Amino acid sequence: MARVIIPSPLRRYTENRREIFIDAPDLANTMERLFDRYNGLCIVREQPALLSIFINGQLVKTNQDEWSHIGLEKDDEVSLIIPIAGG
Amino acid sequence: MMEKNQITNLSHLKEILLPTDLWQEIKSHCRRKLAGEYLPGETEVKRAYGLLAGKVHDQVALVEKIFIFKKNARMIEPLKTYMDNVMAKYAVASKTPLSQRGWITDPEELRKCYDMCDGKGLLAIGTYHMHIVPWDHDPLRDTPTKLDMVLAKNTNMYCFIVSLVDPSKPIIRAFYEGMKEQEVPIVFT
Repeated sequence: MARVIIPSPLRRYTENRREIFIDAPDLANTMERLFDRYNGLCIVREQPALLSIFINGQLVKTNQDEWSHIGLEKDDEVSLIIPIAGG
Repeated sequence: MMEKNQITNLSHLKEILLPTDLWQEIKSHCRRKLAGEYLPGETEVKRAYGLLAGKVHDQVALVEKIFIFKKNARMIEPLKTYMDNVMAKYAVASKTPLSQRGWITDPEELRKCYDMCDGKGLLAIGTYHMHIVPWDHDPLRDTPTKLDMVLAKNTNMYCFIVSLVDPSKPIIRAFYEGMKEQEVPIVFT
């Protein structure tokens, strides 16, 4: 069961939860179940170019359409990051 | 770790408390970058970008820590294309080429920043950047531009504008998601 870490700016969409535990075999299914459970996080899905995923602190460089090939082990930590920007 | 009862939707704040030593830290960061003085590993551009983190109770935020971002990912794909497109659409014309304007955080640097916030029980309250050039219709430049608002949309954070148009009289103001009609007063403590 992977532990998904939600950064504080996005926690208004996850009932203030920092950690979401999701039982799924790979990254694609984990993200799918996360979005199903917390619909507000669709703003993340709508900005695929901005979304960065880290697994156990390592940046995932694989394209999103290949996330089903990234298996997740029990206790893996998945972090979602949307970069912030200014003019 | 996170305090369980902290409000994470920041849209309804009434006040932001900013300790004077942290305000000084922000000013020093901005002035150092303007002077062209850079830290090791810091992107060498005369722009300053940082994050204010703190705690929220009863619709009041207390800023407790400033994070200075060192790396601008402006020229790294796919963030470069995203920023190029947004800036081409919303940035006001300037002598500085669009490719040299704007700041977008390096994902790794931001992840570490959020981890440190969580470790200290802090929320990301907002980001700051500076405006230095007066415009005819906006001589103080102490409010967000259209571009600032677009980039702050859906961040659930405040856009802190640091005006250094007059370096001897710096100004800082805070706007929820960069919206001028959602300014929250800053109280120095």
